[in-house]
Amino acid sequence: MRRIQNLMKTSEGAIGFGILATLMLVALFAPILSPGDPLRIAGSPLLAPFIDPAFPLGTDRLGRDVLAGIIHGTRTSLVVGIAAAIAAIAIGLCVGLTAGFAGGAVDEALMRVVDAFQIVPSFLLALAFVSVIGASVPVVVLAIALGAWADPARLTRAQVLSFRERDYVAAARVIGMHPVEIAWKEILPNALPPVLALSAIIVAAAILTEAALSFLGLGDPNIVTWGSMIAEGRNVLRSSPSLSIFPGIALVVTVIGVYLLSEGLTKALAGRRSEA
Amino acid sequence: MTIANLSRRTLLQAGAALLASTALPTLARAQDAPAGGRLIVAADSEPKNLNPAIVASNGVFFIASKVVEPLAEAAFEGKDGLSPRLATSWEGSADGKSVTFKLREGVKWHDGKPFTSADVAYSALNIWKPLQNLGRLVFANLEAVVTPDATTAVFRFSKPTPFQLIRNALPVVSSVVPKHLYEGTDIATNPANVKLVGTGPFKFTEYKPGEYYRLTKNADYWNKGEPKLDEVIFRVLPDRAGAGAALEAEEIQLAAFSAVPLTDLARISKVPGIKVISKGYEGMTYQLVVEINHRSKELADLKVRQAIAHAIDKKFVVDTIFLGYAAASTGPVPKNAPEFYDSGVPAYDFDVAKANALLDEAGYPKGADGNRFSLKLRPAPYFNETKQFGAYLRQALAAIGIDAQLVNADSAAHQKAVYTDHDFDLAVAPPVFRGDPAISTTILVKSGTPAGVPFSNQGGYANKELDDIISKAAETVDAKARTDLYKQFQKLVATDLPLINVAEWGFITVARDSVLNVSNNPRWAVSNWADTALQS
Repeated sequence: MRRIQNLMKTSEGAIGFGILATLMLVALFAPILSPGDPLRIAGSPLLAPFIDPAFPLGTDRLGRDVLAGIIHGTRTSLVVGIAAAIAAIAIGLCVGLTAGFAGGAVDEALMRVVDAFQIVPSFLLALAFVSVIGASVPVVVLAIALGAWADPARLTRAQVLSFRERDYVAAARVIGMHPVEIAWKEILPNALPPVLALSAIIVAAAILTEAALSFLGLGDPNIVTWGSMIAEGRNVLRSSPSLSIFPGIALVVTVIGVYLLSEGLTKALAGRRSEA
Repeated sequence: MTIANLSRRTLLQAGAALLASTALPTLARAQDAPAGGRLIVAADSEPKNLNPAIVASNGVFFIASKVVEPLAEAAFEGKDGLSPRLATSWEGSADGKSVTFKLREGVKWHDGKPFTSADVAYSALNIWKPLQNLGRLVFANLEAVVTPDATTAVFRFSKPTPFQLIRNALPVVSSVVPKHLYEGTDIATNPANVKLVGTGPFKFTEYKPGEYYRLTKNADYWNKGEPKLDEVIFRVLPDRAGAGAALEAEEIQLAAFSAVPLTDLARISKVPGIKVISKGYEGMTYQLVVEINHRSKELADLKVRQAIAHAIDKKFVVDTIFLGYAAASTGPVPKNAPEFYDSGVPAYDFDVAKANALLDEAGYPKGADGNRFSLKLRPAPYFNETKQFGAYLRQALAAIGIDAQLVNADSAAHQKAVYTDHDFDLAVAPPVFRGDPAISTTILVKSGTPAGVPFSNQGGYANKELDDIISKAAETVDAKARTDLYKQFQKLVATDLPLINVAEWGFITVARDSVLNVSNNPRWAVSNWADTALQS
């Protein structure tokens, strides 16, 4: 609670939280806000926005409702973004914790693996992964997580290394606690906050990566995503730019929301540390 | 697609722009077009093998046809719809077992060696028949090529081969390559497959991967006074949106094969100095086809296939996906092949209620979620239109309770999944009708093609009656009897629906007004451009 209060005290945090909460609600209630398959052909093609009240944002090349696409696209973006971030953080935490705590050869080996993943641009990795396995939401999530876990792994390891030699850890060792127990109960809770602050950046990056994959036609074609809407709209960019602009705005707003929240979170955490 | 098949709206748009700006002066200058100049053309692919004798595809012809010539080219007028190139006359024997070509005299290869009947014999026996994707079928029974003198080549067949087929196939299958460069080498890896040597109006001069192909004037061309142009540059512009902008900026002067997206045509046709032309693709009609995997229990049922045919609104497809630049199909032969086309085939009107009734009858009632069954739908990725039709088909099928799950893949993965692994229920394909059903159309429904052959019947469909008609037509020499067999073929395909023909379309050429003699034959984009000129 205290942390949320701290977060809401920063203006970035408050705005970011507001944007994301709204988007979450839209995603949650998408089937009520816009019932039916958002990809169905609902009206005449290429209706301009703000003309027909039935299609406030107009329709695309095939006559699909742009607003319905954006509402349902919120779901895809948030689900993929958050799931990929959770997966990346989970993998990163485990690897970082193991490496930092075990040290020696295990540390060396794991860090070289991390190096390998950090060297490959994460977008190319996701691109290759999806083209080989085929596009579906779980695959896209995994593909994005695969390129994003290295940073949290390094950060966790660095945190663990700095806590490992603290007195209370030495004390835990002296009273005979199992190393795994020490790692989970003593080190992880202290190492976690900065890693969580990183998570917001991963979410934002994951949303952008998903959009880019869909833009290139590598998203799941059976669901609507902002990236695929922009890609579709690109074909008529000169005559109906709104088809690309609206999902683009949605994307920008979401990513800004996530970044602001992350900024607020960092400040809140820093505040907590200075208080402590 | 003929002009007459275009929607009125399209015709008005394109026609108005054309008439207002250039049609009249262009026609007036057609005969004595100015010589010289460099034509810069948009190219969107860089084929690995550029030899049209081996790879008879439009992507290769687009560049290679200016360098390597066929025996004859398609023409709007002229005997058999052909205009002579390396052959000056052609005649089939009554028994269908031989065809005699008289070859042009005084033709030289770009390296200075004389062109003779030996080159034709070598190309036919060593390349067209064993190696070429289409020649394999057309020349399957070619036994020998006799060359009594340097300008006569007599093709001898072991079984009767219809002259009608050979004639219709000539522009596509008969690219002649020089024997002296290929003999005794590994044909597949011969350097001349990339650095072409031919007899055409342009010499292959330079290729910079990812940038351009440069062809320069062949001063020794057999038709004096041609070519008009000094140079043709094919600039590689893989981004389709880029072609329109490049035309407007006058960085290129011509974009063929709908390199400018259909959605951009209405706008670009209003730009002064640019013309939009829908002629010049009549000899290579693309067909939008739903391929069906008959191994699937549901799709093996004719009623289900009929239901799917009734669920597709062809008018929507033509008007919305193709923006009017297409025509609805009735069967496997397009309307602009009047020699073979038969309109008297069963038609499937857009009728959702009837489609639902057919599915109920077939024993697939709607479940609680409104679905009857699920299918895997793979739209071919080659064209925007095939992808969009995939998205449309999914919705059209949802309306009759069939849940189609789209699977997108790149070209290589798509071809492997459909034509080798048969991992599909429905697929959207754009096969090409090339002037005769036997060239690349009957293979789409005939049984017995081994797995892995792209653009063939890989849906496991086998119909003895249809197979018999196809093989009988392949050996029927009399043109009328053969045409009648193909009319039966069309009826049977439209009745039994081994695949569903939805629409047929030709491409659009967009050019600067300064380019003269554009689209003056039915395969213009892939013809030799000897008379194409630039107005300075």
